[in-house]
Amino acid sequence: MLSMELYITGTGIVSGAGNSGDESFLKEAPSYNTVKLLCIEPDYKAYIPPMQLRRMSKAVRIGIGASKMCMESAGIEKPDAISVGTAMGCLADTEVFLGKMIAQDEQMLTPTAFIQSTHNTVSGQIALLAGCYGHNLTYVQRGHSFEHAVINTQLYLADNPHQQMLVGGIDELTDGSFEALKIAGINRKENSTPADVLNGNTHGAIAGEGAAFFIMTDAKPAIPAVFIKDVYAFTEKDTATAAEKLTAYINNQSLSIDAVMLGKSGDEKSNAFYQLLRSGVFANTSQYAFKHLCGEYATASAFALGILTNAIAKGEALPSHCALNNEASSLKNLLLVNHYMHYYSCFVLQIV
Amino acid sequence: MKQAAYIVNTGIITAIGNDTAACLDALLHSRTGVGKAEYLKTHWSEELPVAEVKASNEALAAIAGVDTKWPRTAILSAIAVKEAMQPVADKLHGLKLGFFSATTVGGMDLTENVYKEFKEDSSKVDFDNIKNHECGAITELVANHFGINDFVTTISTACSSSANSIMMAAQMIGNGMLDVAIAGGADSLSRFTLNGFNTLMILDKQPCQPFDNNRRGLNLGEGAGYLLLMSEKAMQQCGTTADCKVSGYANANDAYHQTASSPDGTGNKLAMGNALKVANLQPADINYINLHGTGTANNDSSEGKAIEVLFDGKVPAASSTKAYTGHTLGAAAGVEAVFSVLSIRHGVVYPNLRWETQMEDVSFKPATELQQGVAINHVLSNSFGFGGNCSSLVFSKC
Repeated sequence: MLSMELYITGTGIVSGAGNSGDESFLKEAPSYNTVKLLCIEPDYKAYIPPMQLRRMSKAVRIGIGASKMCMESAGIEKPDAISVGTAMGCLADTEVFLGKMIAQDEQMLTPTAFIQSTHNTVSGQIALLAGCYGHNLTYVQRGHSFEHAVINTQLYLADNPHQQMLVGGIDELTDGSFEALKIAGINRKENSTPADVLNGNTHGAIAGEGAAFFIMTDAKPAIPAVFIKDVYAFTEKDTATAAEKLTAYINNQSLSIDAVMLGKSGDEKSNAFYQLLRSGVFANTSQYAFKHLCGEYATASAFALGILTNAIAKGEALPSHCALNNEASSLKNLLLVNHYMHYYSCFVLQIV
Repeated sequence: MKQAAYIVNTGIITAIGNDTAACLDALLHSRTGVGKAEYLKTHWSEELPVAEVKASNEALAAIAGVDTKWPRTAILSAIAVKEAMQPVADKLHGLKLGFFSATTVGGMDLTENVYKEFKEDSSKVDFDNIKNHECGAITELVANHFGINDFVTTISTACSSSANSIMMAAQMIGNGMLDVAIAGGADSLSRFTLNGFNTLMILDKQPCQPFDNNRRGLNLGEGAGYLLLMSEKAMQQCGTTADCKVSGYANANDAYHQTASSPDGTGNKLAMGNALKVANLQPADINYINLHGTGTANNDSSEGKAIEVLFDGKVPAASSTKAYTGHTLGAAAGVEAVFSVLSIRHGVVYPNLRWETQMEDVSFKPATELQQGVAINHVLSNSFGFGGNCSSLVFSKC
């Protein structure tokens, strides 16, 4: 990453744990016994014209919904530029068109699902609805899709200082992707409870989906805000080596870390990685987890960042049901550590 | 001050050739790659011509030295990356190397063959056909094959995808975050995209005629195109030089319609104008425009009008090369970046194939004859697409 402080001045989340526009968002510990955490969608009336809403797939709805909540919380009508990460893009529409194409032997097809199936549909629709003619990018690099959208934000702001960029991570779960992700060992076949996610040791993790958007700028805001100091993203097949790399990176930051948000999912391979950090470099740090709220998906790091920025902006403590050990007494320096498959990332965050 | 991203080498495979030399030869001899689909198995093979790379996945995998079970997009990508990296492949020790790819179809060519069975009973399907469906998986396969891991990303912004991957690579080299980058994109033909574009009624049933008044639509193509970009320091270490560089880039959004361009090309104008600003050039400095020029009524009209306004009526030599390669979607800007570099290097302007009739709503005429021995110092390359995504790149002689 460049040496640049990326201030987060707005947050919008639509997730399996509800949405950030709701007063009661994350106030209660979740309760479920299920294989997948699908988005609890808001009433979109305030955000999307009804005619347009009817035509939108879930990916587009949650993306637009979260981006509108985000802009509202930042107090802006439209951003200067847009940067989105999505590993799988608009899967539901892709599958609709694919299914019909096969069933109808490539004949008598209609364009709607195809039009909405492209990976940049969400970023394009946000631009269209907001009338945003600025820079517009969509990253599709698996577990680093959101991280790369953030790195792009720095590159853009380095060339165009003091602008406001809308940055998000979004992925939707479909029946087809859920099936594939179970076979790949990423998602769990059996039901999970929140306790399974937080404390279990299972084969695969509960499936999830969601959209989390942010307004990011290089200009220091007047109100308390989180800024991203650095993002470290790497791929690594061996969990012990991944833990070593992260430990070296964190030690090199020489920061007094008040709290760390971990992408702990209950998955056995994943547990081995997080355990090395929890009993190692984070042994004396307040630890929190978030995947009991959103499930496991490729852009879940955006959701986790959203929990942090949402709480800080509202002057609230991090939710108690996220705490894995002693809760933090003060929040100044924070880390977010996540991995999806062999894609690892660490966000270094500070509050000003 | 930003460092320049120098263009040290190119790698390409399209319907008109399996490498840079073969593609240039086809461009110089007006050989089109548009014809009947032989390898893509589709209901439409008799009716919809495509610009297909004329080889099976097995034959292509043998060229690349990769697994024949890879999605075709990954195989095409590996062939072009191999060519681009070849001169420096063993000289990169200690340099930070990035891979910036782009694709819109990912592993769809394999997924679409097994999707029905997968939905009925996933255990009956060889999972190898599904596991690389994601766009990012294609890039990962290729990056791992070539041992690239300092920074690996994939951009998917429809038809402008690989212009954006080249832009990001130039920015990261410019900011000193990387020393070397392979940047561009790849897309194979698939029934999914062919049928998708067919439902939009923008496919030409004959070989396409970009920027012609009687144009009927586009032909889809497939291929891959990449630039090998280096900082000055990296060139010194590798003992190599460059004859041109990425001098300008811009990305804008048309914010008009999910699949159509605004009538006056708002996004097109912004992308071209901002790319010139980044390059610190005036419109009059541009010697050649490699048009997006898909051959659809909508694109060529919007693009043409935007160019007329931006260039104030004084339009330089301009042509679309999509009549040769078809529209290769996520690969298009990578492919056309290679053609832009060759234009500078060899001082050529490629003829806009099959052009017959002047457009009524655009006053300039594309180049229709091959021009050789021309001084080409600056080339503007356009890529506009679905989602309102508009990107322009400027390449300059150095």
